[in-house]
Amino acid sequence: MKLKLVGNTRTIEVEIVARDGAIVRTRIDGIDVIAELEPLADGAAILGIDGRRIRIAGARTRNSILVVAGPASFEFAPVEGRTGASRHGLAAPEVTAPMPGKILKLLVAEGDRVEHGQALAVLEAMKMETTLYAESAAIVKKIRVGAGDMVDHGVVIIEFSPAPADPSMSESTAPDA
Amino acid sequence: MKSRTINKLLVANRGEIALRIIRSARVLGIKTVAVYSEADVGAAHVAAADEARLIGPPDPANSYLNLDAIIAAAQTTKADAIHPGYGFLSERPEFARATEAHGMMFVGPPAGVMAALGDKIAARRIAIDSGVPVVPGVGTGDLATARKFAASAGFPVLVKAAAGGGGRGMRVVNDAAGFAAALEAAAREAQAAFGDGRVFLEKYLARPRHIEIQIFGDHHGTIVALGERECSIQRRHQKLIEESPAPGLPSSMRDRMTEAALKLARAAGYRNAGTAEFLVAGDNFYFLEINARLQVEHPVTELRFGCDLVAEQLRIASGERVAEPSAPRGCAIECRINAEDAAHDFRPAIGRVIKLNLPAGPGVRIDTHLGVGAEVSPYYDSLIAKLICYGSDREQARARMGAALGEFSLVGINNTAAFLRDVVASAAFARGDLSTRFLEENFPHWTAAGDDLNAALIAAALIAGGILDGARPVVGSVTPNGARNDAGGACMRTPWTELAGFELWGRR
Repeated sequence: MKLKLVGNTRTIEVEIVARDGAIVRTRIDGIDVIAELEPLADGAAILGIDGRRIRIAGARTRNSILVVAGPASFEFAPVEGRTGASRHGLAAPEVTAPMPGKILKLLVAEGDRVEHGQALAVLEAMKMETTLYAESAAIVKKIRVGAGDMVDHGVVIIEFSPAPADPSMSESTAPDA
Repeated sequence: MKSRTINKLLVANRGEIALRIIRSARVLGIKTVAVYSEADVGAAHVAAADEARLIGPPDPANSYLNLDAIIAAAQTTKADAIHPGYGFLSERPEFARATEAHGMMFVGPPAGVMAALGDKIAARRIAIDSGVPVVPGVGTGDLATARKFAASAGFPVLVKAAAGGGGRGMRVVNDAAGFAAALEAAAREAQAAFGDGRVFLEKYLARPRHIEIQIFGDHHGTIVALGERECSIQRRHQKLIEESPAPGLPSSMRDRMTEAALKLARAAGYRNAGTAEFLVAGDNFYFLEINARLQVEHPVTELRFGCDLVAEQLRIASGERVAEPSAPRGCAIECRINAEDAAHDFRPAIGRVIKLNLPAGPGVRIDTHLGVGAEVSPYYDSLIAKLICYGSDREQARARMGAALGEFSLVGINNTAAFLRDVVASAAFARGDLSTRFLEENFPHWTAAGDDLNAALIAAALIAGGILDGARPVVGSVTPNGARNDAGGACMRTPWTELAGFELWGRR
């Protein structure tokens, strides 16, 4: 299965290749990893990996898997075979609120061309200001909220359309055919 | 002053600190009243108190910052004292004033003292008048004055909120270009957080240490100091790790800082618990501010001095004399575990506690309101647990902290425990080479260790495959007033309402 670390754009492929008693053979991004699994009474388990014993536990939520390895916490989103927007060079077709909060400022307008890493909006959540950035170059197609609006987790803030190829850009940045 | 007994204490706060105050009050035989917002129905502090009163909706402006609702809750429950905790209304003079005006005791300094010290611009003036050194700066955020100050002192400069605390409304400005925007953003954040948009400027020191002195004053004019706490490990001016004693601090320096703190407290007519904060650079120290309340990191002092600062606050509020502090011993370190994703720019995390394993053992204390089913909502700050470890020396305290953080395991809310473990284990921390730039210099881009990531990926695959338990415990969901507390969404559902999910992903 393919997993994306939430908050990150990198996708990692992990497979359980075989189980033989306590021995679990896995493949992570093409590299074989062998682990030893010892279930615990509370539903967690000890995973023996590279000579270390790491306590693992987790739970499924609606659209992710929450996992801990020792004190380290992770949220993974299973990735379906994605096509569509990403084929056109958009990292994401929209920007959604990463948490519930209040839109303090919109820094772009409909029709604007934005570049990778450009600040788009400022969200206030947990009493701190969080700036949302563009994951790729794009055109702002629609802004779905106004400054001062309260938004819920996952609400679409801005919709994008692909940015037209810039003729001044070098060949290497153009998507391969 | 004549002693008055506190019979019933209202705790005007939430989370770990409300729980911690209730515990101390109970030991003293004082009845407690909790207040809570709709987001905190069923929270630990509500369960711990003798009585609880709903004071409003989740938004803190309408609940934990709602002075009238809290005073009304105290009146209807016949409380005779209010403890404000930290944050929220704790440093609002009008809250102390309203408490006293309604015939109740306020567990903290008098309103007038709080007004003078809580205003950081006024506090600077008191320090200057008392001959205590302050960081070079100007007491206004006026753009023209700000530009003039920056031109003479040089960049970077720090914009701070007059009413600020916890890093809110604070901005570092590196050049003239970002000045106006930084002043505006700081003022806006300060206005939103404190209802007071005034800001002022200080020269930004390059690699200072942040060291503070705990003070305590009573109604009889006695003021004592209870040692220092080093709070240099900060991220965006939010303290993450605190310890006492400050490693390598010369005792002559400690004495001078203690003297300055006592001088300030006397000049201000201070009463109850407070903290004088200083920046230390080389052989110099500079007064920053006095926090007129209990600090988040107070347990560090408690472990070294073998005392209960909340109990001491309650005794002093009722007119008793401050106890002469015993000699401090050993070393104590505190780590603040926050609901944040340390690997992704410390983005705030929310959710519900699904599984929880808390550390224990000799010299290990954990102050937390978390339990299975507890919810971390977006409305309040991200502190979810304080882990405090005591050792006969710093190495023992540090080793205990490392081991305790290794035991901490929380499924449901991304948190900073693994990051803190790595910081505590680092060579720079072990050497005690501390400054407020420590994290920028040593941990600019933290990610979890490769083994941990691999173990987590395998765990996710095992859960998806139904080999490892990925079920969520069923948590009750109906509030006393009949409203469903729904923010956690899926976690509230039972297998009976989600048969498909149960069959697909349940334990086989």
